[in-house]
Amino acid sequence: MPGWTHRMAEPLLAIERLSVAFPTRRGLVQALQSVDLSVPAGGALALVGESGSGKSTVVLALLGLLGRARVDAARMSFDGIDLRTRAAEVRGRRLAVVFQDPSSSLNPALAIGRQVAEPLVIHGKLPAATARVQATELLAEVGLPRPSALMDCYPHQLSGGMKQRVAIAMALAAHPDLLLLDEPTTALDVTVEAGILDLLADLRARRGLSLLLVSHNLGIVDRLCDRAAVLYAGRVVEDGPVPGVLGRSRHPYTRGLLAALPRPDETGLLSPIPGNLPDLTAPVAGCNFQPRCAFAAAGCEAPQMLTGADHLVRCHRAVALEGASWPAPAPLPPPPVRDGALLVAEGLSRRFGAVQAVDAVSLTIAPGEVLGLVGESGCGKSTLGRLLLRLIASHAGSLAFGGEAIPNDPTRSFRRRAQIVFQNPDTALNPRQTVGTILRRPLEHFGIARGAAARTEIARLLELVRLPASYASRYPHQLSGGEKQRVGIARALASRPEFIVCDEAVSALDVSVQAAVLNLLAELRQSLGLALLFVSHDISVIAHVADRVAVMYGGALMEVGPAAIVLHPPFHPYTQALLSAVPVIGRRARDRLRLPGEPGAVHPGEGCRFALRCHRQLGQVCLEQAPPWRDLGDGHQIRCHISIEALQELSQGS
Amino acid sequence: MTAYILRRLLGVVAVVAATTVLIFGIVHILPGNVAYAILGEFATPSAVAALEVKLGLHDPLWLQYWHWLSGLLHGDLGQSLTMDRPAGPVIAEAVGRSAILAGFAFALVAVGGIGLGVHAATHAGRPADHVLGLAQLIFIGVPDFFWAILVILVFASMLGWLPATGYSPISDGFGAWVSHLVLPVLVLAVGLIAHVSRLTRAAMLEALRSRYVLMARAKGLSERRVLWRHAAPNAMLPAITILAIDFGLLIGGVVVIETVFAIPGLGRLLVFAIEHHDLPLLQAGMLVLTTIYALANLAADLAYAALNPRIRYTASA
Repeated sequence: MPGWTHRMAEPLLAIERLSVAFPTRRGLVQALQSVDLSVPAGGALALVGESGSGKSTVVLALLGLLGRARVDAARMSFDGIDLRTRAAEVRGRRLAVVFQDPSSSLNPALAIGRQVAEPLVIHGKLPAATARVQATELLAEVGLPRPSALMDCYPHQLSGGMKQRVAIAMALAAHPDLLLLDEPTTALDVTVEAGILDLLADLRARRGLSLLLVSHNLGIVDRLCDRAAVLYAGRVVEDGPVPGVLGRSRHPYTRGLLAALPRPDETGLLSPIPGNLPDLTAPVAGCNFQPRCAFAAAGCEAPQMLTGADHLVRCHRAVALEGASWPAPAPLPPPPVRDGALLVAEGLSRRFGAVQAVDAVSLTIAPGEVLGLVGESGCGKSTLGRLLLRLIASHAGSLAFGGEAIPNDPTRSFRRRAQIVFQNPDTALNPRQTVGTILRRPLEHFGIARGAAARTEIARLLELVRLPASYASRYPHQLSGGEKQRVGIARALASRPEFIVCDEAVSALDVSVQAAVLNLLAELRQSLGLALLFVSHDISVIAHVADRVAVMYGGALMEVGPAAIVLHPPFHPYTQALLSAVPVIGRRARDRLRLPGEPGAVHPGEGCRFALRCHRQLGQVCLEQAPPWRDLGDGHQIRCHISIEALQELSQGS
Repeated sequence: MTAYILRRLLGVVAVVAATTVLIFGIVHILPGNVAYAILGEFATPSAVAALEVKLGLHDPLWLQYWHWLSGLLHGDLGQSLTMDRPAGPVIAEAVGRSAILAGFAFALVAVGGIGLGVHAATHAGRPADHVLGLAQLIFIGVPDFFWAILVILVFASMLGWLPATGYSPISDGFGAWVSHLVLPVLVLAVGLIAHVSRLTRAAMLEALRSRYVLMARAKGLSERRVLWRHAAPNAMLPAITILAIDFGLLIGGVVVIETVFAIPGLGRLLVFAIEHHDLPLLQAGMLVLTTIYALANLAADLAYAALNPRIRYTASA
C-alpha cells in the first residue's frame, strides 16, 4: 500500500514558517513569526505558552478562520491538502476543534442533540433520524449519563464539565483525523479537568486520533501529549518530546513556566516570570524573551535559531545553562498570625430556593491569618465568602468581627474593615472609569482621603500592587489580566481593611501571572498584617498561600486544619480526591483516584453529603448518619465515619 | 409550556380587568356634559335634566361602573350616544379598517426591519451599512406626520399617482383598496422599520462575534447556515422584544395617520368620541384598544419563550 507508507513518512500536519499579522490602528500586530510545527499521524502535540503568545492564532490559522489577518506560510499541509487554500474543505470534517469555554462555544438557542447531530447531517449526509441515533451514541461515548434525555436539553441546563463533553462529542461527530483542543479544560474545576483529560486520552487511544493541544498549563500536557512546542510572543522557543521539555527544559521561558506552576505538595512563594509580553507591533530581531529572562546576557540581541536534533531550543545560552533552574524568590518570614479571633462564624446557613448552598458552617479566622477554602464549583464556597462579608443575608447563624456581633445589615465601619477581590477582573472593574476613579471611590466613601490627599493615596495603592502611578489615568481595557487583578486588589486595600475575601482571585489568570499575583498577596498580608479568606477550586494554589485550609463539599465543611497537616495523610476522602485531581508533572494518570458519581452530587438526608461520590464509603452508616467531627489535635478536624486509624492506613496506601 | 401559556393568559385577563377601572375613571374625569353634547347647546335645562336621568348620569359612579361592566360581561359594549347605535358594531367596522392598516404596516416592519438589520450586520463597515445607518437616523428622528404630508404632496398632488386621503373598501375594487392603503401603510411603517433594523443590526453583530458562531464556522458549515441557523435565533430575541414595544407605538401612530389620511378607523373613531363626549363609545373603544395591546404583548412573550430555551424551561419548572 503505497499510500500508507507515504503517510508514515509524511506528518499528518506540517506547518512551515507560518506568520500571521493582524492589522490594527496601532499598526501590524505580528501574532506569529515563522512558526514550524508538525503532528505525525496518531501523534499528540502540545502548544504551550501564556495568553497572547499566539497559540489560538495557530488553531484559527489551520481552520482558515482568521478573517482579515495576513497569513503567510511556506507550507501548511494536512494529509497532503494545502490548508492555505483548501482549509474550508477539511474544516469541521477531518479537522475538528474544541474551544476553551464550553459555555460560550455551544449555541444557547439550540438543543444539544441538534448541535451534535449537525455535522452528521451536513457532512455525513445522514437522514435526521439516523444522525440522532448516532449523536446519542456519541454522547454516551464521551461519558455523559442518560444521553437520550440530554439530546433535548439546552446548554444552560448542563454543568461546565458536561458542556465540554458535549463539545467533544460534537467534534467527534465529523469523524476527524486531527482534533484541535484550544485550552479545553481551562474554564473547569481541577476534578472536572481530570475527567476530561482521561476522556481525551481514552479517545486518542480508541479512535487513533491525532491531537493538537493548546494550553498555558504545562501540567496537563504531561497527561495527554508526546511532544510539546513552547510558544513565546509568536515564536517557537522550544520543541521536543514531552519528557525532555518538562524534565530537562532547555529554554529559560519553559523553566519559568514550570517554576510558576503551583504544586499541592509544595508551599511558600512561587517563582513568577516578571514583566509582560513584548510589543508585537515592533518585533525585535533578537530574543524577544530577553527583557523578562533571568539568564539574559550579552548576545541575546542577536537573532537566534531553533537548533538541536530532536529537542530543539531557540537560545544561544542553552548549553551553558544546562541544569540551571529559574531563580526562586527569597522566602518570606513566618506569617504574622496573632492569637485570638478576628472573625468568628457560628452555624451560618443560606438557601437559594430549594438548594441549601451553605449549611451551618462554623469557622474562625485569626488576625493576620490566611484561611484557604477549597472545593469544587457549586459547593457553596463563594456563597460562604459573601456570607462572611454580609454581602448576602444569612438565614441562620451568627457572625462576629473584632469581638462585635455583625448583623445581616452591617455598619459602614464593617464594610470598611472587610473587603473582597472578585474572580473575574474583566467584569469586576467598571469599564467606563479610569483606574484612578475606581480607587478614589472607596477613599471618598469611607472618608479616608479627598482631593490631593486622595491622589497621593492612589499612587501609594498602585505602588503597593506594583503598578506604575501613571496607570491611574488608564481604563481597564488598556490593562492585561494580571494588571486588572492588581487593580482589583488595590481597590480592596483602599479602605485599609483588616480582612479580605479573595474569591477565586487568581483562577482566571495564566500560571505565570497567577504566581505573581499569589506572591503579591503573600507579601501584602505580611506587610499589612491582613487576614484573608482565600477561596479556590485549586488545592495546589491553596497550598502555596494558606496557613490553614478548610475543605467544603455540598455546603458543609469536611475538613479543617493547618495547611501543612491537611495536605498530608491522614485526610478526608474528599481532600484526597481533590489532591489527586491536580495535574502534577510526572504523576502517572493511572495512579490517580477517580470518584464515582457526578461532580457535586450531594447525598440528601441525614447522612454524609459526600457519601454518593466517596470511594471509601462504608455503607449504611455513611448514608444514614451524619458524620461526626473527629479531632486529630493541632486544630485538625475531619468530619467522617471512618476511624482515624483507618484514614491513616488507607491514605498511605494511595 | 402549557402552564406558562395559561399563566400568561390569566395575566392578560387581570390586566384587562384592571384597565376597565382605569378607563372608566379617566372617561368620567373628562370635562363636558353628554346631554348638552347630544341635544346641542341651545337645549333647555329641563330637557338636559331629563336626558341625564334617562342616561343614568345621576346614579352613583360605582353603580354606573357596575352597569357598564355587567354589560361587557354579557357581550354588550354599550350604546353610542351620538350615533344612537350599539357601540359594538360601530367599533368592529372601525377596528377592521385599522387592523388592515396596522397589519400591513406591522408585517412590513417585521420583515423589512429584521431583513435590513441582518443585511446591515453582515455588511458592517461597508457602504450598505453606512447608507442604512444614515437612513435609520433620519427616519427615527423625523416624526411620521412630516412624511405623511410629504408623500401626499409628492405622490398625490404633484405626481397624482395615488389618492391623497380616504378609504375604499375592497368590495369597491381591489385596485382602489390597495391604492388608498399604500401611502398610509408606508408612512406608518418607515420610522419603525428604522428602529427595528437598528436594534436587529446590533443584536446580530453581537451574535456574529460570539464564540458559538466561531464554533459553527469551525464545524465547516456554510455561511448561510451559520447566519440563519446559529446567529439569527439568538439575535431574534431582542428583535422580538422591540417588535412588541413597537406594536404599541404603531397603535399610537395609527391614530395620527388615520386622521391625516382621513381613514375611518378606530383611531379616528376615538377622536370623534372624545370631541362629541360620547362616553360609552369612548370607553368601549379604549377597552378594545388595550385588549389588543395586551394580546400583542402576550404574543411577543410566547414567541420569546419559543425562541429562548432559558425562559421556556425556567417557566415550566
